Amino acid sequence: MTRPRRLRLSRPALAALDAAANRLYGWRWNPLYQSGTVAVVALLILLGTGLYLLLFYRLGAPFASMARIDQDVWLGRWLRSLHRYASDAFIIAVVIHAWRMFAQRRSWGPRALAWVSGGVVLAAGLVEAWTGFVMVWDSFGERLAREGARLFDALPLFSEPISRIFSGEAAVPGAFFFVNLFMHIGLPLGLGVGLWLHVSKLARPTLLPPRTLSWAIVAALTLAAIARPAPLGDAADPLRLTINTPINLPAAWWLPWSEQLPPLAVFGVLTMLVATFLLVPALTARARSGTLAASFVDPRLCTGCNQCPQDCPWEAITMVARTDERPTLVAQVDPALCVSCGICAGSCAPMGVGPVGYSGRDQLDALRMLVLPELRAAVVAPSVVFCCAEAPASHRAALRARGARVREVRCAGNLHSSAVELALRSGAPGVLVLACPPRDCAGREGPKWLGERLYNDREAELQPRVDRRRVRVGTMAAGDLRGTLECYDQFARDVSALAPVVPASELDLTLECATAVPGAGGDA
Amino acid sequence: MAGRRVLRVALALVATVAGLAVLAAASAVDLPWHGANTAALRLAWSAHPERIEVCRAPSKAEVEALGEHMRQRVECDGRSATYALRVRVNGVLVGDEVVRGGGLRNDRPMHLLQTYALWPGRRRIQVEFSRRERATSDSVSGTSAAAPEADTGIFAGRAAREVSERARRTRGAVPPLLTLDTTLTFGPQQVVLLTFDADLRRLVVPPGRMR
Repeated sequence: MTRPRRLRLSRPALAALDAAANRLYGWRWNPLYQSGTVAVVALLILLGTGLYLLLFYRLGAPFASMARIDQDVWLGRWLRSLHRYASDAFIIAVVIHAWRMFAQRRSWGPRALAWVSGGVVLAAGLVEAWTGFVMVWDSFGERLAREGARLFDALPLFSEPISRIFSGEAAVPGAFFFVNLFMHIGLPLGLGVGLWLHVSKLARPTLLPPRTLSWAIVAALTLAAIARPAPLGDAADPLRLTINTPINLPAAWWLPWSEQLPPLAVFGVLTMLVATFLLVPALTARARSGTLAASFVDPRLCTGCNQCPQDCPWEAITMVARTDERPTLVAQVDPALCVSCGICAGSCAPMGVGPVGYSGRDQLDALRMLVLPELRAAVVAPSVVFCCAEAPASHRAALRARGARVREVRCAGNLHSSAVELALRSGAPGVLVLACPPRDCAGREGPKWLGERLYNDREAELQPRVDRRRVRVGTMAAGDLRGTLECYDQFARDVSALAPVVPASELDLTLECATAVPGAGGDA
Repeated sequence: MAGRRVLRVALALVATVAGLAVLAAASAVDLPWHGANTAALRLAWSAHPERIEVCRAPSKAEVEALGEHMRQRVECDGRSATYALRVRVNGVLVGDEVVRGGGLRNDRPMHLLQTYALWPGRRRIQVEFSRRERATSDSVSGTSAAAPEADTGIFAGRAAREVSERARRTRGAVPPLLTLDTTLTFGPQQVVLLTFDADLRRLVVPPGRMR
């Protein structure tokens, strides 16, 4: 089935944006990689500043109290502006995060709940912004309130049209501002629930960016608030036709269009947008077969070590009682939760778990068939570079042009340490593993577990007999080809300074692992 | 190497400042709402529609067939009136609407909110709000002086109460015909409100401007 053009374009567009941000900030501080956690930082700023502003807000005189906050209250103008800019940053970060998940095809299957709950969080954020702007009760707040009332009046919900509140016959009742304030305070609770649902299927969810980046975001938004405080519009006046209103585009980009349409058309468009958003998991879903099939467990090889459930970023693996007479537990993969990232394959010393074609045994077989003959035939064997399949193709091509033997793995966390050892034993002078930036890993925790396995003895660890000087982990970030090549060149220089490798007689690593397991054959 | 690093940091700072400037600018973009040289006439009021009923006095046999607590001296059946709103500005018809009461049976209060855009200046405004049904409200037929014998016992004083209730309901309803013919001056961006004063029972232009 041909993917629609916009689906195909979304990924290159995102990659181009990522590349630009990587060039500017480096992959460690690229805020686009941190879009989800940036939204949480913005939410925390909103909570802090909102609580302070609430102390000075008066339901009986909303605009007057806002004007007082702006002019008289200590730090009032800056904190109000910071509140405003944080709300904008929140909406923008959530939209970028959704786009990233969509473009990287991380919105379907077991991730559907995260997709839908993320949409709920975005919708709640927009409504929250709406109520916040109405609270100010300047001309923009009035415009939003009037449009909301117009839309609600089209629904058979209220006996008296809400729009009558703004006719100018009488002052806008305090009850209206009370309900608005109630929603503005209550909705963050809903946001919290949405956020909890959003990460509920993740193991070890990351909620905040690195501390430095968090403070950098706070500082940047504060500077913006000080340098250009958010303007307060004219006071709302139902009996005056305001010519221009200062519209907040991130939260109310839809307003000028909505005002031109009849309410039913607005609801129609809204329904279509919501339906399309909710249907994304179904529209982008792919068959769970082949490389996208859920991981399998070979119970004959499973020793019940409990490592794969610990490493699985999706909590898709549990240990259950065995059906044979062996005294250990056995791993069991829940296909409804497994996203086929393959991280379990790298965690299993006996190579008894992993997606079809990507288990440790499959990796060794592929190396033997495709890479090792080349290494043995070469006069000077090249270094082997394991790259994440998600890495930019241009980087892989550049590495090949440098003479490296590039081998793709599904995810850096998918790479089994035995594959590294096998490559070295077969004559490769070094093995460089280039992973995606940690916050851009489709498997969520690939680079993290890879490093732990190669350097910190986490199961399935790289054996002590392997010379660590010949193994290195680097990062391959979009737009940072120079960084990728520098990493490779440095590694090649370091390796060339070492004594030449003498290929060892190849151990049958598969057999070596399997003989520890009663009843398992080496060719299993 | 150090120079490249400094350049990169400088570029990152410039990009950050530019991003923040865009964020701040997008946070308050002046977009037009109303035309620069416009005014408006707004008609806004809430009132009960008149109840148009046909009433009759039930026969003695009909009354006795009911439990005492359910007996009525007069039984009425009817519906709420609907109204035609016509608005003319300088003699030109700008609004011609049918206004009904709220609710599925249109027996709830009717809420009117109409805004007509005008050019600023002095304008002759003519508003007519008239009942569309011809029937007289609260018409009671066949009650023949309200059967005085029924106005005793548990019905004692009921006739008077019913008359009082009907009078109250009639007073609460909008009159069958409301008209206003006046000349108003509309300033630029000004909305002139026209409403129904339930005490005076006529259309008025309130003097004060509300928040």
